[in-house]
Amino acid sequence: MRQETLRRFISFGLLVLLVIIFSVTTDSFLNWGNINTLLRECSVTGILAIGVTMAIITGGNDLSCGHLMGTVCMLFSFLYYYTGMSLLMILALTLLLALMGGLLNGFSVAVLQIPDFIATLSSQFIFAGLTYIFAIRNEYGSITQAQINNPTITALGGQIGKNGPYFVTIAFFVMAAIAQFFLKKTKRGTYIYAMGANRKSAEYSGVSFVKTKITAFVISGFCAFVAAMFTLGRLHTAEVATGQTLALQAISATVIGGAAFTGGRGDMVGTTIGVLFMQVLRNGMRKYGFTTQVVAVVSGIVIVLVLVFDAYYNEFMQKRIKRAAAAAREKKAVSANG
Amino acid sequence: MSDVKKSGFDVKKLLTNSRIIVLIFLVAFLSLVTGGKFFTYGNFVNILYSISLTGIMICGATFAVLLGGIDRTVSGNAAVCGAMAATVVLAFGQTTGGAIAGLFAGLACGIVSGFFHGLVLSRFAIPAFLLTLATNEVLYGIVQFITGNQLINVMRCDFMNWIGENRLLGIPIPVYILAVCFVICYIVLNHTVYGRYVYATGGNRQAADLSGVPTRRVIVIAYTISGFMGALSGFVMSCMNKQASAAQAMGYENDVLAAIVIGGVSMRGGSGSLQGAMLGAVLIGVITNGLQLLGVPSIYHNLVKGVIIIVAIAWDMLSAARKSGTATNPFAGLFKSKKKVTA
Amino acid sequence: MAEKDLLFEMREIEKVFAHVHALDHVNFNVRRGEVHALLGENGAGKSTLIKILTGVYPKDGGQIFMDGKEVEISSRESAAALGIACIFQELSLVPTLSVYQNVMLGKEIAKFGIVNAKQERKQIQDLIDHYGFPVGANDIVETLSVAQMQMVEILKALATDAKLIIMDEPTASLSSRESELLYKIIHQLRERDVSIIYISHRLEEVFNLSDRITILRDGKNAGLVEKEHIVPSEIIKMMIGKEVSEATASRELKTSDAEPVLTVKHLTRLGAYNDVSFEVKRGEVVVLTGLVGSGRTEIVRTVYGADPYDSGEILIEGKPYQPKISRSVATGFGLIPEDRRTQGFSPLLSVTGNVAVTNYDKLSKSGFVNKANENTLGHEAVRLVDLRPPNPDVQVGNLSGGNQQKAVLGKWLTRDLKIMLIDEPTVGIDIGAKDEIYEIIERLSADGVAVLMVSSDIAEVLRVAHRILVMRGGKITKEFNNGVATQEDILMASSGFAAEEGKEADA
Repeated sequence: MRQETLRRFISFGLLVLLVIIFSVTTDSFLNWGNINTLLRECSVTGILAIGVTMAIITGGNDLSCGHLMGTVCMLFSFLYYYTGMSLLMILALTLLLALMGGLLNGFSVAVLQIPDFIATLSSQFIFAGLTYIFAIRNEYGSITQAQINNPTITALGGQIGKNGPYFVTIAFFVMAAIAQFFLKKTKRGTYIYAMGANRKSAEYSGVSFVKTKITAFVISGFCAFVAAMFTLGRLHTAEVATGQTLALQAISATVIGGAAFTGGRGDMVGTTIGVLFMQVLRNGMRKYGFTTQVVAVVSGIVIVLVLVFDAYYNEFMQKRIKRAAAAAREKKAVSANG
Repeated sequence: MSDVKKSGFDVKKLLTNSRIIVLIFLVAFLSLVTGGKFFTYGNFVNILYSISLTGIMICGATFAVLLGGIDRTVSGNAAVCGAMAATVVLAFGQTTGGAIAGLFAGLACGIVSGFFHGLVLSRFAIPAFLLTLATNEVLYGIVQFITGNQLINVMRCDFMNWIGENRLLGIPIPVYILAVCFVICYIVLNHTVYGRYVYATGGNRQAADLSGVPTRRVIVIAYTISGFMGALSGFVMSCMNKQASAAQAMGYENDVLAAIVIGGVSMRGGSGSLQGAMLGAVLIGVITNGLQLLGVPSIYHNLVKGVIIIVAIAWDMLSAARKSGTATNPFAGLFKSKKKVTA
Repeated sequence: MAEKDLLFEMREIEKVFAHVHALDHVNFNVRRGEVHALLGENGAGKSTLIKILTGVYPKDGGQIFMDGKEVEISSRESAAALGIACIFQELSLVPTLSVYQNVMLGKEIAKFGIVNAKQERKQIQDLIDHYGFPVGANDIVETLSVAQMQMVEILKALATDAKLIIMDEPTASLSSRESELLYKIIHQLRERDVSIIYISHRLEEVFNLSDRITILRDGKNAGLVEKEHIVPSEIIKMMIGKEVSEATASRELKTSDAEPVLTVKHLTRLGAYNDVSFEVKRGEVVVLTGLVGSGRTEIVRTVYGADPYDSGEILIEGKPYQPKISRSVATGFGLIPEDRRTQGFSPLLSVTGNVAVTNYDKLSKSGFVNKANENTLGHEAVRLVDLRPPNPDVQVGNLSGGNQQKAVLGKWLTRDLKIMLIDEPTVGIDIGAKDEIYEIIERLSADGVAVLMVSSDIAEVLRVAHRILVMRGGKITKEFNNGVATQEDILMASSGFAAEEGKEADA
């Protein structure tokens, strides 16, 4: 079986197993209300994970998407609070900021040739700084929060009908589907894989490193924008720390879903499984009555186990391939000698 | 190249270090524009004091980076150690003996954690960044267990207060601790066989293996040192704050990494120095201090830090390319892509 | 010569590297739909010629014609535009994409950026069916065998309407069944008027496949043979050159009667080598030769302790030895590994830094390094290997290939060596530095060190060997212990002719 197929099978199997375990052992896990909440809670991370997955498939990473999302939230509330701009204008400006953020990452990585994860670490600092600059301040200069009452934005936090899925969940799944289509069915999507798996070969075939990297990071910026809007819709306000831990969650989910840091591997199905897996684990453990710290420890350990498994599994496969090649050589030698 | 003579104190080499030049210019500039507020003994001590915690962490984390890895758990180790030490100190009734017991308990946590990371990373081809990202979460989870998500106040422990508050010859104790750590780690990296092995393993692990270097042991020891230094920094932090919190040192891992990177240590391993990394920390400290003195609101500090990292790395890339005579222009990629569009 | 049959022609090609003529007025042409083999010893100029032909190097003189028109090949792209494609030894496919995606990479059939996968797949599957390749358009490349990957490379070439395909050692990592398949495909390509330049060390297959053979020697044309005039021994003579001085054309071998330092008995590692026995005596230089992949490197690595083995025995000075790298270093082994770049040195460290790594048992006292001794050692090593520039503070990554290898040698020369293991020491090294390395090996031997060396370069084997062991398919198939061995003998033995003759004689 192909390595990736088996890996997908395992991560999906683990997700199903978790769902079954929690459904059987707790009363409050398997009902629509809980599932709906669970889906809502993981969707913002999921939307960010879409961008992170793109960056990881190109062989890079994006540590800054959570911070960028926070900055976008803050700029929104800043413009909303201090200026009388129309919603459309605010949306346009915040979208511009998000895309510029993505472009900044793409520029440092592709043009300045800074390793992805240092480039996005430094932009993490920059976005955190911008967030403070945009923060709403009271007359004494200390940071306060402004309520955002725009009905269009608050509506984003809602759901279909009374009990239907939340809009954010729908957005996550729709965006994941579009991203999957983009990766698998379009030229640029293919280039993203090609660049991550074998940069030299991709460049020989005329694929541009600069364009491909920038595409991935701008998509990530766009994801940060969408995630920001839904975050505002739910929280009705922006805080300076909003989103700052989400990039790491998104990266973990992506890796659990089977994307490899070495590039060229992973897709939206895997990432979605990873996002759901982490959320089901957290939600189910809370049903057992575990405190948040236990949940944090266990999910950390799960990630470590997945990493060790991936490394061990890769090693095993490499050895097998080598052995098969050696066996083939031997056969040839025998036939050549005989 | 061949006629460069080696001498004990290499002024030429020192002056060709772009960081030193930048630092000298910065100091001169700040001295001029701040009207004497910057260039004072007291202010220099302040700068050193402000970087003492990250500095201690850098002493350890540089080992990991020199091996081509990274250690994000410096902050988690600091938090675990702080919490562990504070708990033990309280259990012993805030006596000096209790403080020392707490220190050892905390340091032991850091050593165990570092040892574990070393074992895993030396055996498996896991990106160190990812592993330590996950384990840092685990460490903070453990801290929350220990602290019960409450602040642990240690107000009346003489030993800890002495470290946190006292000065010797006008210099705060944490600065001395940083100095001792720096000197020890400097000696280890530059004057011991182990230090040589770190560079050899980081530069080319296969070649080191075939030369008989026990590379697995080298990696395990490096992460153990990093764990120890992270924990020590956490203890000092608890002394300074007179408390241990569940979020202690959170985010320090990024500052540590930023300093190491600004200091010119290569993320690929095998190249760079501890003094360089420390210089990176000093640069950040001086800039932050200067911004404060100039009355720039602290909200801009992070922004500046981000820009410095990009500039420092881009500068290194450029000068490395110029030296090796390849791809002198970092914008070459851009123009190439343009050509392709038209073609 | 039927001029209009010519697809491609190179006239009087010159290439100079550092005042040395790598190619000296070389002529080479390919007819439409022929398989034209390029033969020559290592360093004869084959790869330089191919690199000029594919746009990697610019030529320093001469003309290139395609379809009778003079052309300039300035880059890979311009070579591709002319219909020249190269199947590299190091495959350049994207492992995680499918066959058709790889073939179409960079030239997708797309509308608004959305790929018409159906059409692409059909187009490629048609191409595959047309030639009968045993791959599917939808297969993911990393699941394929090496042979199938090569076919994808060929498909890539065909999809760009390549008229001339260069195959550089295509069968080096193929099983015999896979090789047969490749031969079949080559025949099909020829029938469809595609021309092929074929490079291989396996003379047997070259003789069977080729329509014509161009032989290069020392950067010059040494012969052009049509299929009907192929006589193996004649061609081998052309490769070696008749006028070569006696010193490198043959060598007087002798078995030393010193006591053995390294004895290997019935050593076996499944899939690598099988039941190998030999010994290396004090002051002796024993060379393992044969084709790449015949198990030579693995034996050396096993003896050193870098690779495991399944059964057999290794003795050092008559005592059983359990190989382990640290033990080997302490016992007095030295190793020059196969690929100096990935295994030999640390590019960012200075010469002293690299050289000292193996010597800290002597340079340190309770864990602390004695810097003065370290510097002395660096200078000592520079002197011993005559490093240029003679500066132990230079980063090894900045040295030339030959000096990098000398730095790797320097790691061991300052030690009390018993056994020196040397694997392909002069690959990619200029002639001057090669000679210096041979002199160092001779000095080691004179000092009583037992040297076990792996080499594919026959001139080199004859230059340094006291005894020669030829390996083929994981076994030692021939030993040259006494008397005179010539290049011809060794070439015959390692390409399998001698082995077969031997078999026939047995039967």
